[in-house]
Amino acid sequence: MPLSVIGLSHNTGAPVDIRERVAFTTPGAAENALVGLRDALGPGIECVLVSTCNRTELYLASAADLPSADVLDLLLSTRGLTEAEQVRPYFSERIGHRAIEHLFRVGAGLDSMILGETDIVRQIKESYRIAADQGCCGKTLNLLFHEALRVAKRTRSETDMGRGAFSIGHAAAEVARNIFGGESGRTVLLLGAGKMTETTARHLLAPGTAFAGGSSVVVANRTYDRAVRLAETLGGQAIRYDVFPEYLAKADIVIASTAAPRPIVSREMVENALKHRRHRDPLFFIDIAVPRDIEAAVGDLPGVFLYNIDDLKQLVEEDMAERRTRAARAEQIVREEALSFARRLQATATATPILTALRANHHAIIAAEVARLRQRLPHLSPEEWKVIEASFTAVENKLLHGPTVRIKEYAASPDHAAAKFATVRELFDIGTEEEHPEVAS
Amino acid sequence: MIGSGSVLVVTVALYLGGAVLFGANLLLRHPSLRRVGRVVTILAALTHMAAIGLRCAELQRAPFVTPAESLSLLAWITVLAYMAADLRGRLTAIGPFALGLAFLLVVLAALLPSATTLPGENASLLASNVISLHILATVGAIGVFALAFCCAALYLTAHHILKTKHGLVRMKPLPPLTVVESSAFTLIAVGFPLLTLGILAGLLRAWREGLPASWIWDPKALLSYAVWAVYAAYLIGRNLLNQPPIRTSYVLIVGLLLSLLLFLAPTTFHRFH
Repeated sequence: MPLSVIGLSHNTGAPVDIRERVAFTTPGAAENALVGLRDALGPGIECVLVSTCNRTELYLASAADLPSADVLDLLLSTRGLTEAEQVRPYFSERIGHRAIEHLFRVGAGLDSMILGETDIVRQIKESYRIAADQGCCGKTLNLLFHEALRVAKRTRSETDMGRGAFSIGHAAAEVARNIFGGESGRTVLLLGAGKMTETTARHLLAPGTAFAGGSSVVVANRTYDRAVRLAETLGGQAIRYDVFPEYLAKADIVIASTAAPRPIVSREMVENALKHRRHRDPLFFIDIAVPRDIEAAVGDLPGVFLYNIDDLKQLVEEDMAERRTRAARAEQIVREEALSFARRLQATATATPILTALRANHHAIIAAEVARLRQRLPHLSPEEWKVIEASFTAVENKLLHGPTVRIKEYAASPDHAAAKFATVRELFDIGTEEEHPEVAS
Repeated sequence: MIGSGSVLVVTVALYLGGAVLFGANLLLRHPSLRRVGRVVTILAALTHMAAIGLRCAELQRAPFVTPAESLSLLAWITVLAYMAADLRGRLTAIGPFALGLAFLLVVLAALLPSATTLPGENASLLASNVISLHILATVGAIGVFALAFCCAALYLTAHHILKTKHGLVRMKPLPPLTVVESSAFTLIAVGFPLLTLGILAGLLRAWREGLPASWIWDPKALLSYAVWAVYAAYLIGRNLLNQPPIRTSYVLIVGLLLSLLLFLAPTTFHRFH
């Protein structure tokens, strides 16, 4: 069944305003679109819609050739874009092997705006789940998406593409992991209740990360109400701004991002705090404020690690550079896997009509034989006939097992496949595809 | 029949192979390197055990009589301690150090003169359980200290990288600071009682044999007290005086260097190691 993908992304040059116009990211939008497409395209069509902030792509498997312009019109109309001449130039279509390779690249994070990012795997899984729930996935797309998720896992495990920092918050969480590992029960002190502080804290405390669960959060902000609001969001505790120095002794990680014009955490303040804490516990300061909130001299204290926004940016850039070098290996894996999958798909497509015909022939012979027996043995009960029929079926399966395996092998290896299939047809009296069009389809 | 020497050659090759594989894993971060490294380490520990066992069978005596044999035993215990410490896969990063150290110790042992026969008096002494306990506990403690040394070296390296912020990308395969620090402490918590037991067994042996009072000033005995004092200082500094890990890590490094000197210190009363 031919595969194709039609879609746009940041890599097809679509700017953000175009991407958001065609995105199906609102709740229920993808479901409605899939139902609309399935109804319009008719039975026998498989479709999965992958729609994120950076891409909207429709994967299709169909026995018949579908004009891409018609499919695009349908897709846009389900989004309510009937006059969409502006968005059309950004769409591109990939067919067959190229469509497979494209999905594998997307899953591996090679087509992502931030190279190697891992969230795309979750988005692909979710898109596939939605399509499956709507009954839009058949044998071909089931195979394709399972394979894409497996390839995504393989590329990440073999190339470490998914590791490293993707953002400032991510970089801070990485350094914290290098210091504290997976120990829970850490205390995170937030100085400031702005967006940057919240984002960084969320990276640290995100489910599945080292500090999720068991860590306590303390928020200090000049405006106490904002501290309370952020503390509630993060499940922490708000404190008055003027008492935060007392909490330095209890904190393991301090995230500072206030609008203060000069440093609010001095070396002396930290020295005092260190006197009241166990020396062997490191203290990690993340200063993402500009101008800086923490005196640079704080970083010279033993057991204290101070990272400002430039340090974290540097880490993100270093990780990105490393990921770029690993991407070449990931691309190679994707190419190999896509080729192998395309061959398997082709083999299945080639072998299926012959296998179906072979089974139909045997089935017809057995059905005729059972009918003849029924006339000769009318006294047998229905239960006894069930046993006899099951026995015939078992014999049929055993007889066909060997030929089935061989035919699949012939289909998988392109060498002399046509000649081998001709022999198989002759041996088993199957006839040509022209003689059995219903089988070939 | 295969001799202990041939098996030891295989062991040395496996230690080197394991160190190289774990080192490559640190640089390339490929999971298969780590897996193969672990298999090679297990094989090395098994072949080393076989070599020690064969040596016992060949000479019909304990395998820790000569300095060479003690070093070989120390290498084996270091590797066993590493395998135990890395059961949860959190200390794989010290693999290159631990196996590299084992490799060097066995090579050093091979370079030392090897006596195969013993004077009759020494042979009878070996029949004493107290002597065996003294030697095994002391060598076992030093093996564990060797691993703690690896942790300390790793701590100082990781601390330096985190402070200077140079090479952070390369730091990813290293275990977290707090894990390395607590692992070093756990190892000392195991090794220190072993060393104490070894020293006490030595004292008991001296008392039983009625050695002259001058044995107290034997350089090897004095050095063993110094080693004990260094590790006691580590435990007190870490747990009672709340010293920062960077300082206690240096203590562990000094501790192992002194421990290795134990093998080279001149002695009048020690006859086996």
